[in-house]
Amino acid sequence: MEKSAYKNMWVYIEHDGKRAHPVGLELCCEVRKLCDVTGDKLVAVLVEGLPEEELAKIRACGIDQLLVVSGTGYEAYSNDAYSNLFTVLCRKYNPSAVFVGGTINGRDFAPRFAARLNTGCTSDATELVYNPESGDIEFIEPAVGGKMMAVITVPVLRPQVGTIRPGTFRYEPTGEKPAVEVLHETVDFPVADIRTKLLGFVPDDADADLDLANTDVIVCLGNGLSGPDKLPKYRELAALLGGKIACTRPLFDRGILPFKLQIGQSGVMVKPKLYIGFGISGAINHTAGFAGSGLSIAVNTDPEAPIFGAVDYGIVGDMDEVCDAMLAALKAR
Amino acid sequence: MLNILVCVKQVPDVDLVKMDPVTGSLIREGVPAILNPLDGNAMEAAVRVKEQYGATITAITMGPPAAEAVLRECLSVGADRAVLITDRAFKDADTLATSYVVAKAAEEFGPYDLIFCGKETLDGATGQMGAQLAERFGSALVTSASRILEIDEAADTLVTEREMETGIETVQARIPCLFTIEKTNYQPRIPNFKGKKAARFAEIVTRTASTIPGLDPSRIGAVGSGTIVPRTYPPERGESGVMIDEGSAERNGAKIVEILAETGLI
Repeated sequence: MEKSAYKNMWVYIEHDGKRAHPVGLELCCEVRKLCDVTGDKLVAVLVEGLPEEELAKIRACGIDQLLVVSGTGYEAYSNDAYSNLFTVLCRKYNPSAVFVGGTINGRDFAPRFAARLNTGCTSDATELVYNPESGDIEFIEPAVGGKMMAVITVPVLRPQVGTIRPGTFRYEPTGEKPAVEVLHETVDFPVADIRTKLLGFVPDDADADLDLANTDVIVCLGNGLSGPDKLPKYRELAALLGGKIACTRPLFDRGILPFKLQIGQSGVMVKPKLYIGFGISGAINHTAGFAGSGLSIAVNTDPEAPIFGAVDYGIVGDMDEVCDAMLAALKAR
Repeated sequence: MLNILVCVKQVPDVDLVKMDPVTGSLIREGVPAILNPLDGNAMEAAVRVKEQYGATITAITMGPPAAEAVLRECLSVGADRAVLITDRAFKDADTLATSYVVAKAAEEFGPYDLIFCGKETLDGATGQMGAQLAERFGSALVTSASRILEIDEAADTLVTEREMETGIETVQARIPCLFTIEKTNYQPRIPNFKGKKAARFAEIVTRTASTIPGLDPSRIGAVGSGTIVPRTYPPERGESGVMIDEGSAERNGAKIVEILAETGLI
């Protein structure tokens, strides 16, 4: 089948029966812009069970259709049922593109159904552009640890499947369309064929130090940190400023700070009132994670470090010395 | 005895890759190629299962001939067999084509009860290989697995923990099962002298496009890939912020505090 025969763009709405995961709404808003260019319909796809007020939030993103699925096998998430569901639906409707929020479960099933459909799958695009010449979506994303940007396309096969991280795009609803068509599909997946079973869930301890989402001040540490022995001064600085410490991927890789403190695309996306980065080179994967912060400051020994292009104020210098100086100045006040 | 496959990749140490500011291309010379860190965690998880339950471990990789080095690392800590898939015909393969080739080449030593992958690679970082390999093997899938709690060989089931955004799931899965392994509980061991020595002289099974039985040439390399990379470019460097230079670290630190006070942040 010619790729031009595939029409419409789908966004999968992940939900827990109470609320839609924000990433689905963010994606609807962003893919709306693509559909305005291509003339495709924007279709939100979800398993039934979401309350009306949440459905209204999805409609407000300017969707053209709501595809609501019912059937056996969807009570809890499973790779088997969801991989099958999207295989069946895509074979029936032939969408041009399918966008799935890059949650842990989204990243669990999207590549699998893409492989079953024998089509291309991309992950973690930070920008989506339609190329009218090729008729393909350009998935633009940081590559090689953020050292470069790569344009990725699915030039022949369909649908074009992409998982996108939560927080990449903004929820800026453009308003409900006058007529939103609602389609119902029943796709039964035999419960006996589900090979994984959720036995239990233990929420993480509510460790306030690990909750960066609602923090006003973040002191972020990068690979320039010489070792864990230097952590106390940065903790002290964060405490004096009324904030918390965080890190970039290399410090997590080095085992110095936990993953929950990693700011960036593959970690936590934050918008504090104040961000101070010490010893951070500034790969795009990280800087995307604090874009939109209030005031941002960076300290690095390398004047060419890309981080200086992502902050309001920069200091070229030794991170420990600058931290000591800030501590002294704060205490002298 | 359990039959285990561990899928690994040799990657450039991306933290050491720099971009040529003039040409915009990546400078790879002198950048060490390493075992993808999370694949080291996957290998460790497999070895722990082998120690507890007994298993044969096959380590497999696809890459240039030099990728043999990461297989020797696997052999040094407990892999029993290593398979190197190498052929220029596999060049420019995305995860769709790579998962096809790896599964095809691995068939020879299968079927497998358990398949281990790292959660994602340092370079491509798509995190898609695990799910797509599970599709090729037709196995159950547990991504972001952080601890394997128990394996019941008689019942062909296992119980594992899964590290989710807000907590830990406990999941039962049927065998065969593919895991993508998290770093949390599987710090790779350091090989001992005996292991290193044995690995140095171990035979590596090498497979090419013509020695993998039944390989469909239309599904490999660039032609078998779903995605392409038509172009790359350097990330846009935003306009630099205001550079503070008061002459010393001491004065610079004090200046920041002054700015924070002026903006009402302290």
